[in-house]
Amino acid sequence: MNVAPMTAAATARPIARRTVAPGKAWALARRALVYLLLSIAAFVSVFPFVWMMIGATNSSADIIKGKASIGTALITNATTFFTQIDAIRIFWNSAVIAGVATVLTLVVSSLAGYGFEMFRSRVRERIFALLLLMLSIPFAAMMVPLFVMFAQARLVNTFAAVILPTVASIFIIFYFRQATKAFPSELRDAAKIDGLKEWQIFFYVYMPVMRSTYAAATIIVFMTNWNNYLWPLIILQTAENKTITLIISALTSAYTPDYGMILFGTVLATLPTLIIFFLLQRRFVEGMLGAVK
Amino acid sequence: MAQARLARREHLTGWAFIAPALILLGLFMIYPIIWSLWMSFQVGKGMNFSFGGLANIERLTKDPVFLRALGNTFTFFIIQVPIMITLALLFAVALNDSTLRFRGLFRTAIFLPCVTSLIAYSTIFKSMFATDGVVNQALMAVHIIGSPIGWFTDPFWAKVVIIIAITWRWTGYNMIFYLAALQNIDRSIYEAARIDGVPAWARFRYLTIPMLKPVILFTTVISTIGTLQLFDEVYNFTAGNGGPSDSTLTLSLYIYNLTFKFMPSFGYSATVSWVIVVLVAILSFIQFLIARDRRTS
Amino acid sequence: MNRIASRRLLGVALAGVSFLTVAAASAGEVSVWVWDPNFNGAAMREAAARYTPTHPDVTINIDDSASQDDIRAKLQTQLLAGSTEGLPDIVLIQDDVAQKYLQSFPGAFEPLSDAIDMSAFAQYKVAAATLDGKSYSLPFDSGVTGLFYRSDILEEAGFTGEDLQNITWDRLIEIGTEIKAKTGKPLLDLDLADSGLIRMMMQSAGAWYFTEDGSLSIVDNAPLRKALETYASFYQADLVKPVSGWAEYTGAFTSGEVAMVPVGVWITGTIKANADQSGLWGVAPIPRLDVEGSVNASNQGGSSWYVLASSDNKEEAIDFLKTVWGGDVDFYQKILIEQGAVGSLLAAREGEAYQATDPFFGGAPVWQNFSQWLSEIPSVDYGTFTAEVDSAVQAQLPTIIEGGDLDAALQAIQDQAQQQMQ
Repeated sequence: MNVAPMTAAATARPIARRTVAPGKAWALARRALVYLLLSIAAFVSVFPFVWMMIGATNSSADIIKGKASIGTALITNATTFFTQIDAIRIFWNSAVIAGVATVLTLVVSSLAGYGFEMFRSRVRERIFALLLLMLSIPFAAMMVPLFVMFAQARLVNTFAAVILPTVASIFIIFYFRQATKAFPSELRDAAKIDGLKEWQIFFYVYMPVMRSTYAAATIIVFMTNWNNYLWPLIILQTAENKTITLIISALTSAYTPDYGMILFGTVLATLPTLIIFFLLQRRFVEGMLGAVK
Repeated sequence: MAQARLARREHLTGWAFIAPALILLGLFMIYPIIWSLWMSFQVGKGMNFSFGGLANIERLTKDPVFLRALGNTFTFFIIQVPIMITLALLFAVALNDSTLRFRGLFRTAIFLPCVTSLIAYSTIFKSMFATDGVVNQALMAVHIIGSPIGWFTDPFWAKVVIIIAITWRWTGYNMIFYLAALQNIDRSIYEAARIDGVPAWARFRYLTIPMLKPVILFTTVISTIGTLQLFDEVYNFTAGNGGPSDSTLTLSLYIYNLTFKFMPSFGYSATVSWVIVVLVAILSFIQFLIARDRRTS
Repeated sequence: MNRIASRRLLGVALAGVSFLTVAAASAGEVSVWVWDPNFNGAAMREAAARYTPTHPDVTINIDDSASQDDIRAKLQTQLLAGSTEGLPDIVLIQDDVAQKYLQSFPGAFEPLSDAIDMSAFAQYKVAAATLDGKSYSLPFDSGVTGLFYRSDILEEAGFTGEDLQNITWDRLIEIGTEIKAKTGKPLLDLDLADSGLIRMMMQSAGAWYFTEDGSLSIVDNAPLRKALETYASFYQADLVKPVSGWAEYTGAFTSGEVAMVPVGVWITGTIKANADQSGLWGVAPIPRLDVEGSVNASNQGGSSWYVLASSDNKEEAIDFLKTVWGGDVDFYQKILIEQGAVGSLLAAREGEAYQATDPFFGGAPVWQNFSQWLSEIPSVDYGTFTAEVDSAVQAQLPTIIEGGDLDAALQAIQDQAQQQMQ
């Protein structure tokens, strides 16, 4: 049903005929090697995370001394964390900012990515190239004028000011445009024949078909917004409006940082993104084509 | 006639899809960009600046710190991006095999680094790569090295640690894009190829890579931008000074210092920002060119 | 599905107060930015608690949710943007960066010397915040330095605290060499990314990176040269445990891996957090440089309160600072005991807490000692380009500790700093 892969398969075939089918033992060895490499990668990847969780159970002094076993200070760390920080409020702030930003970004940016790829014109190609360039401007260079704008709009210290500049994400537009290249154009043609309007095709055909792309984008956008640092730092002024990322970062710069409490906080702060990842990663398995057929 | 009207409607629909994004970008980016471009022609400190023409560009060429930062940033880019893209691709393909067990576990594990907090990960990397840290001990135990490496005190090894760290952190992130893209590939083609006896490496080279090309291009461009804007790791690993001897100072860290740490000289820091833009423009152009070439050949 | 979810989320979010509205500060509400909830934040809370009962119309709102770097980034962005919306009434700024703000943003801060008598404070603190004859800060904590040492390690090597009184750095290197030989422990831990020790040595001789008119003084700066030489000697005598970052830096001396740490008095809290080491610590005056004019006292860090000129509550803010921070001797006793904060109000030294001895430091009258050293700290003009020169110095440190040519290094520092200062 897809044209490009067929040609690719066709080019692959002549090579196939010249190759001898690999033996069973070799296949087994290769499989073992894959497991070994993945296990090493998984271990290296997980290690600092586990260390962070162990750290959350130790006192600050023990952590500084390099203690690497599970300690008994978990309750103390939790208590310190929850007494020093208005955790519910702060997590709520983070959740609202990251949640709203993620939903808006996905809608606005996937529309644009789809639009750029499906409806090509010379002007829009130019605009797209320009957008890619804009993506590479370091945020620090734009922060002062952006602050001036939001101050004039009297939006300093509001969530709207944190979210709005992130919604039209050139990064995610670019991602959706590239992913749309794999969207079967036959589906769109068929939908058109069925009398669906362009926006209906987008919402009822494209969105469900591209589920794995949306899943990946959700993870990435949520994580980016959850961890966003510099702009929220500048635009949010009062403690009760700050995000967990800002609060934890500030804790580390004390003269005597309480690392146990900080690591407890970082574990908590990591959980939302992790849960979202864990829930959505199944989307990568299901695949999209099975759902369409 | 009818065709022209259809084309016109296509044209308008195209604008309609990108309109929300363009309006928002216009609102929140155009003014800041023009402002920073204008600033890059201003010289002076704090609030007292004046038009300086190309003075900032001239200053760039004579600024040893800038040249060091440029060199470092480029080194990180040249070495780190290919390693990371290759690893991410390999992991994604391995994890896309439906017969593989514990896939969810492996996927989550390899993704974990990019959600692990920067604080936790920089703290542990620093302790692991400390002079008497576990990495040196391990290397000495297996006699790869005779005396401990000064990972954070030697300008060369400090760069190596940064490269290891960013690869560690961002490989799983890039893997996500490949995993998602692999789902868009029709399984039946693989089946057909396998039945025809196409070996795994050939399936990878002649099936997977061409079909992933748009996403590979995407991740490469994104990683290029990410590396040229590299900040978090160097800031956290070196207490913000890009040491030792500026060996890990990146352009972004230099911009940060010029803006926040030093006597604020915004015009000059805007100029350095535009250097990144120009570099990304050139590199992305090359990357698009390479991607296009392969398509036609 | 996406649209429904977005609408619901938006609805919930709009219910939150801060989505689109700005919480305006009401009259009589003095807001303060501090950066360490357990140190300057706690001291400020104590000050507020002493002020508000007698001034019921004033509330003091202390925000400790940002780090020092965060505060600098916010201040600088907003002052550059020319927008003071949301800035506090009082902000804490470290002494060595104060001139940068005062000179970069003229008119942004309120002079305090008209309303408050500055002669009541340690003069080196006042000097750091003085521009064109007016002083802009109410001096807070002193960064008076001490040589914190582990008396048990010292004794093991055959020394006592007496051997550390009024010595030079060169003598300390001799002592350190013996400690290393007898106990195997390095003298101190150093981070190449931090030039604090070099600045501390330089200030002990009344010198800084600049001459009086603010121009660069590197190549002919004898104290700086001697400081770099001393720094290199530590490494060449193998007396250093190299560390990277704050956690590792504090970890080395709080776990007894090194014998000493020369540092500002604000480290006391970190050291005393290890209650099991009570009685094992002592504090000596820091050594002096073997150059003319160097004394056994210096400064590292320390910060002061600044009132923003844009504040709507300037009068209240200044009166608050004047009343508590500028006159309440008892208050200074309390923050010394609770937070280990050594204030700069000279009269506070006569208070009870300053006279007390501390069993953690072997029953020595540590606070009296610190007050004594505090009064001996030479004043220096930190200028506006300290950060630039610092990074130029740090760029040369790896070469210097390997025994590289000092003249070449000084020249390189001079060149880089000159370039950065234009």
